Amino acid sequence: MNYLALSIIAPLVTAGFILLVGKRVSASVIPILAIMAVFLSLFSSIILLLNSASGLIQEIILTGLPNYPLKLIASPLTSILLTMVTLISALVMVYANGYMQQEKHKTRFFAIMLLFITAMQTLVVAGDWILLLSAWELIGLSSYLLIGFWFQKKHVKAAATRAFLVTRTADLGLYLAIFMLIASSGSSDIQVSLNDNSTTSTLAGILLLIAAMGKSAQTPMHDWLQRAMAGPTPVSALLHSATLVAAGAILLIRVAPLLSTDALFVIGLVGGITTVVTGMIALGENDLKRLLAASTSSQYGLMFLAIGAGYPIAALLHLLAHAAIKSSLFMAAGVFQHSRKDTKFSALIGVGRDKPLVFIGFVVSALALSGIPPLSGFFSKDAIITATLTSNHMWIFLPLALLGTLLTGAYMAKAVKLLWSGSAHSIAVHGSKSMSIGFITLVIFAAILGFTFKWVENVLAQPLELDFYAMSLGLISALSGILLGWYISDKKILGVMIKPARTGFAIAGGIDKWIVRPTLVIANICDTLEKYLYRLALNIGKMTVKIAHDKVYGILENYLYQLALGVGKIAVKIAQLSKSTDNQWIDKFIYFMVRMFIKFSHYARAIQSGLIHRELALSAIITGGIVVTLFIMIAFY
Amino acid sequence: MIISAQLIFITFFGLAAVWFGIVVFRTYSMVRSAIALLFSQTALGALFLTLQAEFLGVLQIMMMATEMSVMAIFMVMFMMDPGGLGKMDMTHQKRLSIIAGIVTFIAAVAVAVYIDWGPITTVNDAPTIQIKALGIELLGRSMLVFETAGITILTAMIAAIAVAIQPKGNINNNHKEPK
Amino acid sequence: MGIELIMSLIFAAALLGVGIYGALSQTNLVMIMMGIELILAAALLNMVAFWKYLHPDNPAGQMYVLIVMTVMALEMAVGFALAIARFRSRGSVEMEEAVELKE
Repeated sequence: MNYLALSIIAPLVTAGFILLVGKRVSASVIPILAIMAVFLSLFSSIILLLNSASGLIQEIILTGLPNYPLKLIASPLTSILLTMVTLISALVMVYANGYMQQEKHKTRFFAIMLLFITAMQTLVVAGDWILLLSAWELIGLSSYLLIGFWFQKKHVKAAATRAFLVTRTADLGLYLAIFMLIASSGSSDIQVSLNDNSTTSTLAGILLLIAAMGKSAQTPMHDWLQRAMAGPTPVSALLHSATLVAAGAILLIRVAPLLSTDALFVIGLVGGITTVVTGMIALGENDLKRLLAASTSSQYGLMFLAIGAGYPIAALLHLLAHAAIKSSLFMAAGVFQHSRKDTKFSALIGVGRDKPLVFIGFVVSALALSGIPPLSGFFSKDAIITATLTSNHMWIFLPLALLGTLLTGAYMAKAVKLLWSGSAHSIAVHGSKSMSIGFITLVIFAAILGFTFKWVENVLAQPLELDFYAMSLGLISALSGILLGWYISDKKILGVMIKPARTGFAIAGGIDKWIVRPTLVIANICDTLEKYLYRLALNIGKMTVKIAHDKVYGILENYLYQLALGVGKIAVKIAQLSKSTDNQWIDKFIYFMVRMFIKFSHYARAIQSGLIHRELALSAIITGGIVVTLFIMIAFY
Repeated sequence: MIISAQLIFITFFGLAAVWFGIVVFRTYSMVRSAIALLFSQTALGALFLTLQAEFLGVLQIMMMATEMSVMAIFMVMFMMDPGGLGKMDMTHQKRLSIIAGIVTFIAAVAVAVYIDWGPITTVNDAPTIQIKALGIELLGRSMLVFETAGITILTAMIAAIAVAIQPKGNINNNHKEPK
Repeated sequence: MGIELIMSLIFAAALLGVGIYGALSQTNLVMIMMGIELILAAALLNMVAFWKYLHPDNPAGQMYVLIVMTVMALEMAVGFALAIARFRSRGSVEMEEAVELKE
């Protein structure tokens, strides 16, 4: 039984199935199908883990590009991660069944979630760069679809677009790095690339760091994660705490042998700065989910710090612990959101008293995150601090790590305090049973995971001894942070940094101005151009259809008709012209002549006066005239 | 130019005829104008005699004398002022008529003077022979003309009587007083 | 020897002129007829002069004169008959009053 294939195929097939039959089955069946699929994956991944722990490594090789086959590999590292992914996914699916009970578009939601789970699993077990790249892109796409799930609401579309754009920009680094690695090693196999020498390593490492920064929401690309809280809470619980943002850290953990010391230093520096900056942001936040998002960035900063210190195992441990912790915190936040219809602290004041059970789980996870023993967070935090202590750049990394730990305690204490204080009033929450089951299970995991770390270290053959010095340092900073957060308000702690913290430490407009806006403008232009071209093509098509419509005969007939019409028009014009000439010239002339005749006849009549003497005179004159005329004629002829 | 007796007589009688002709229209008295016309025609007849057209001359004188006396009676009958004592100017379109007369006179004189009439026959037969020739001509070759003339005279007489005769029954009723 | 002829003709022309003047200027019918008399007399004189000086051996000249004389007489006769008729119907023979044909 190929458990690797089963683990990956199960969610994918179920997603397709849900999309096909989604309309025809009742709405409550769909989540059940999804849960079943993911549990199947979980089951397969546990088997894979046990197998790989005992040395049985499973591989799947598919034909990809020529010379670059696609490979899936279940090594100890990848199977640990696979198990983590499927475990969190399964529990979140259970939670989502309850959270999305009132949702109308369950088909779409669960289908995309399943798609995401498939892609994430592919990412963690990818054996070659091309498959890793494809899976990387797929989880980005799923994140976009899921964050923008409620796209009818305001700002949701913008948040999803922003998240997509920022991570996509960072992915350039991954593309370039992969090209470099494949070109230098000649093969797309990850293991082969890792065994390569490190002449290209620094640059590749920086490029990979950029990609990881985008996905894991490190400074300066941390803003999208906070805005991504516009999506449903199961999405936040799964993607934005344990899996998608983990992809960056996973990438760096896997290529850790490849990274040069300079690259490691940069990575650690980025992680340290992120921890502090996003920790301050979290402390200044007014919204619970946004606080948790900033906290996620901060914790991943600690992981980068660990990697930079040269101990990827510490990062891995913290990744596992953080996955459980943050997921459970988000689940609790979701319950609170359902009960108060908002996630702002102003609305959530005192919700802890309404839901005491959930609140207790929240407190446990909060303590775990802060690093209080014996919860899992303590062990992982300690590992990180130990790593920084023993690193080459201790004097830079250690303070940053300790400051991060302090801030963690502070904002967690603040959140707990705000949730507790105040009066109790709420409405009934639907689906609280499923939500509670998922939540409680995860809290338990958050609590006890620490004890499995020794086994993990053994499996991966990377032991990490916990230093007592580190332990105490960590504990002191954690406790002081908690006390600080509980008793002193966030404004006083941050002091002058409160305003930049509230606005997310945007420098010169941040990513927004430099990347997101220009990209959107270019996209708009392309859209307009495409619309124009489409209209142009449509018009050409219409014209062609019209021409084709008139058959040859039709055109000829048209011409003949036009010709006849033209001739007729000319004839009419000529007739009009002759009529007008008639009217204007000939008739006028004739009338004129008639009038002249009448006038002359008047004159002529005047000659005939009827008077005898006049008649006599007339006859005398006329006779004289005739004689003269005769005379002249005879004389000259 | 040889002043012959004929020329003198022609001049004398011609002037007389013209003078009396003018008098006809210049006098106020109707009777006198009739008498003047008589003398004018008589002078003309005398002129014919000088031109050795004896028959014609005599005829003219006889005819005109009778005619003029009849005319005198008619004038007295019809004229408003037969005696001419009222001295009324009985003319109209004077200017036109004077011009017409003068123009005609000048035209005729021009014709008479400037046309070459051909050779003038100087020697001719005695008048008796001419009259005999006329008689023979009249009753010979021109018999038709003579007869026609007679018929014409008859016709004219009848026409004149017919026009002048009074319709029956209108003698007393239709008599209008002369103005 | 054409002087006699020409003189005769001149006198005839004078008579013609006087006759035309009279015919056109007189108001009375009788006077108009006198003018016409003079015109005809002028014509007669012309004819006689031509006969005498150009064709004396041809009696046709005199014939012609006879004819014209006859016509002259006849015309007088008819004219006076008209005058009588006119006088009887209108009471005068003034041509100025003969305006019945005038519109």
